[in-house]
Amino acid sequence: MNKNENKLKGRDLINVGIYSAIYFVIMMAVAMLGMIPIFLPLLSVIVPILGGIPFMLFLTKVKKPGMLFLMAMIMGIMMLLTGMGPWPLATCAVAGLLAELVYRSGDYKSAKKAVLTHGVFSMWIWGNYLPLFTDYEGYFAQRQDYGQAYIDAVEKLMPLWMAPVLLVACFVCGILGGLLGRALLKKHFAKAGIV
Amino acid sequence: MVELKDVSFRYGSENAETQHQNSLRNVNLRIPTGEFILLTGPSGCGKTTILRLINGLIPQFYPGEIQGEILIDGQSVSNRELYDTARLVGTVFQNPRSQFYNVDTTGELAFGCENKGMQAEEIYRRIDGTVQHLHIEALMDRNIFRLSDGEKQKIACASVSVAEPDIILLDEPSANLDYEATLALRDVILRWKEQGKTILAAEHRIAYLWDLIDRAVILRDGQIVRELRGAEKDGLSIADLAAMGLRSTVQEAPAKLDLPAFQEGDEAIELYDFHFSYRGTGREIIRIDSLTLASGEITAIVGANGIGKTSFLNCLCGLEKRCKGMLRYKGKTYGRKARQRLCFMVMQDTGNQLFTESVLDEVLISLPKGTESAREKAVEILRQLDLDDLLDRHPQSLSGGQKQRLAIACAIASGREILLLDEPTSGLDYGHMMQTAELLRQVQRMGITVLVVTHDSELIRACCGRMLALTAPT
Amino acid sequence: MTYSSEAAQEKRRSFLDPRTKLALVIVLALFVLGGLGGEMMEPIKRVLSVLPFLMLLAERQWKRFFRGLLMLGVGYGLLFVMPYLHGVLNFLALMCGGILTRFVVTIVMGEYLIATTTVSEFISAMERLHMPQAITIPMSVMFRLFPTIVEEWRAIRRAMGMRGIRLGGNRAGEVLEYQMVPMMTSSVRIGEELSASALTRGLGSPVRRTNICRIGFRVQDGILLLLCAATFASWLLELCGVKLW
Repeated sequence: MNKNENKLKGRDLINVGIYSAIYFVIMMAVAMLGMIPIFLPLLSVIVPILGGIPFMLFLTKVKKPGMLFLMAMIMGIMMLLTGMGPWPLATCAVAGLLAELVYRSGDYKSAKKAVLTHGVFSMWIWGNYLPLFTDYEGYFAQRQDYGQAYIDAVEKLMPLWMAPVLLVACFVCGILGGLLGRALLKKHFAKAGIV
Repeated sequence: MVELKDVSFRYGSENAETQHQNSLRNVNLRIPTGEFILLTGPSGCGKTTILRLINGLIPQFYPGEIQGEILIDGQSVSNRELYDTARLVGTVFQNPRSQFYNVDTTGELAFGCENKGMQAEEIYRRIDGTVQHLHIEALMDRNIFRLSDGEKQKIACASVSVAEPDIILLDEPSANLDYEATLALRDVILRWKEQGKTILAAEHRIAYLWDLIDRAVILRDGQIVRELRGAEKDGLSIADLAAMGLRSTVQEAPAKLDLPAFQEGDEAIELYDFHFSYRGTGREIIRIDSLTLASGEITAIVGANGIGKTSFLNCLCGLEKRCKGMLRYKGKTYGRKARQRLCFMVMQDTGNQLFTESVLDEVLISLPKGTESAREKAVEILRQLDLDDLLDRHPQSLSGGQKQRLAIACAIASGREILLLDEPTSGLDYGHMMQTAELLRQVQRMGITVLVVTHDSELIRACCGRMLALTAPT
Repeated sequence: MTYSSEAAQEKRRSFLDPRTKLALVIVLALFVLGGLGGEMMEPIKRVLSVLPFLMLLAERQWKRFFRGLLMLGVGYGLLFVMPYLHGVLNFLALMCGGILTRFVVTIVMGEYLIATTTVSEFISAMERLHMPQAITIPMSVMFRLFPTIVEEWRAIRRAMGMRGIRLGGNRAGEVLEYQMVPMMTSSVRIGEELSASALTRGLGSPVRRTNICRIGFRVQDGILLLLCAATFASWLLELCGVKLW
């Protein structure tokens, strides 16, 4: 049992599954709002804030390398399966890896680093917006039949400079979500005894 | 052969789940192959801990400090990986809702064998054999989320059967089961016994297996205090058992108890037009055109698993929008919304109805807005229910019984006149069951009408004055 | 008649192999949602867009079929009326229409995959694709827990109603906190019990797992996989500047 102390075991993998499930359900509940497209940009605000609650609880169970990266990759796969395209997979890999490094630098217990970890982790959400920007011209070129007015209007709502703004929003709200999660952790989960 | 040699154990983390369970002290137990042993004793006596030591969950899943040796066929279990122990030991757990890995029943039966890497043909053969043996043809290829608790527990037993372990552990498997389902469980255990399996059952409800066991091991505070077998076991009276904190050994169907639903002289609560069906099924599971209940009494509501007892309570509380029933009480008629302020339900998962960060706060938010000297009132209610020394505890960290008390305190604080409880004594030992009965009588003395859904005949005998048997609409 | 699990498994077998479903989801995500490929790809994309709806019909998932169709109809309807609207309305119609027409097809495909694949089929498909246990175990736990979490959440919202805690009532500000805390406490508890039960049945064993569910490629899988391959091929050809039509 002492050898391979850092290898992920059944229980760790199941923990990743449990918290990914809670995170995903919360995200889906919020995404229902996103089906009303005006709320779409708001997802980068709401998801990181609410997601912070299960994520901070998850971090208390993370003691080995790999669990954060795994959760990120699973989010990427889930996005692929629910039809959000392949871009989240890429942002998830990067964000997951960075989150892994940040949390490890705090020895898997620093509370400050935990908040930062969630900020970094939340940046994966940005990947969901990428299809709106990457193929900007190519995509709308095919939609000439809806008229120039359509293209003008979309450009007004989702101009290219929104891309970095959304990324920053994900990070900042991730930090806020991390703080919220930590507050609830202290207020409830620690006292309730599930930490 | 399973052996525990001078085993002592203390849970490592102060986890919510484990802090109510006591550790073990110097336990010695030898279980020859083919023996059926009952582990019993008051809550927290350590019987679940013994099972966890044998199936390896301790220390692999619940860490802690072990002394002594746990041996299966002469080999130590504690250092073995869980998947190796899984080949020898199968476990049926208490909560039917949380022991499934698959969503479909067939997949669940195959799960253990698939993990072992067994060939598909062999798994098919074993599943078919088990299905035939346990008569569960009707449960196959179903969505587990649509099964009743009794049916789920049957699937849990079947999935252990398919894996064919030599040792079978049962951790309070009957806690959520009704009378009929308990008899079905007894039947399954009997078949295992015939096959020569070594069986260990940890149970509070001992009646359904008392005559099957070879030996009863009684624990208290983590130590074995008594072992009973043969004539000594059979000669015990119910009073002897109660003195040891054990439940009755008489298996009794709640429906056989002779209590009226309403009798002359009772003040009436009348229900009209309570109809309810699950969304999309169209099949009515509740069809009550009119019904009279006794106000100010404790009424037991009985009926088989899956008959719609919980749905009935939901409708009564006004939680089901699609139930249009009306309730008449003290000359007033209550619609759905009004019933939400008249009734209070203590749910089976009491944890799901406690929200705040302290016991005191929980009662404070229940008091009507603008109550004067709210804090004093809240403390007074908590004192009546014996919770005043827990004011600052987090509600989720309380034991099951304490959570129940707290929920009832909230009901009293919010001035509800009808209290409903859903299976309040599932998984409780004799002492705690009697405490619940006393609590209900206390609530009754406050002038509150109590309706309690239960399959616990002992609870009904201890406190219920009226009984309503629900049957499926024809 | 005696029960035969083998026959039952065969009978409930899904129209497509889970791997084919996965391939379709990915192709749809890349080409229909992601907008890869130029003008030459348009006819292929049309065919791809119809597929998820056909699949739902083949599996007799009427409800999902009509819901998807309705969402798509609303999307195109909005784009149709958009030019006649002004100001904010024009804007809203455009955004809703644009996003609905774009996302619905892939979402329907994802829904189809999740609705028609059992946990066991999913695990075995992932294994045949040589996915490591580190991915298959957490993902199967997730699929198992989704309905549980939703069930718990619903129970908690009901309980809150009964306690009189709602938006606009006593302590409206804490509504969210009061929902999240018990929801997570009970989900984690159920998750832990689930783990304990799964581990005592050998989950996580290094032995190669077997599977009783019937998966494997049939004619329909072949046709659809060919279609996926053709999509990629024509995209590559287009990149190289070859014009097919």
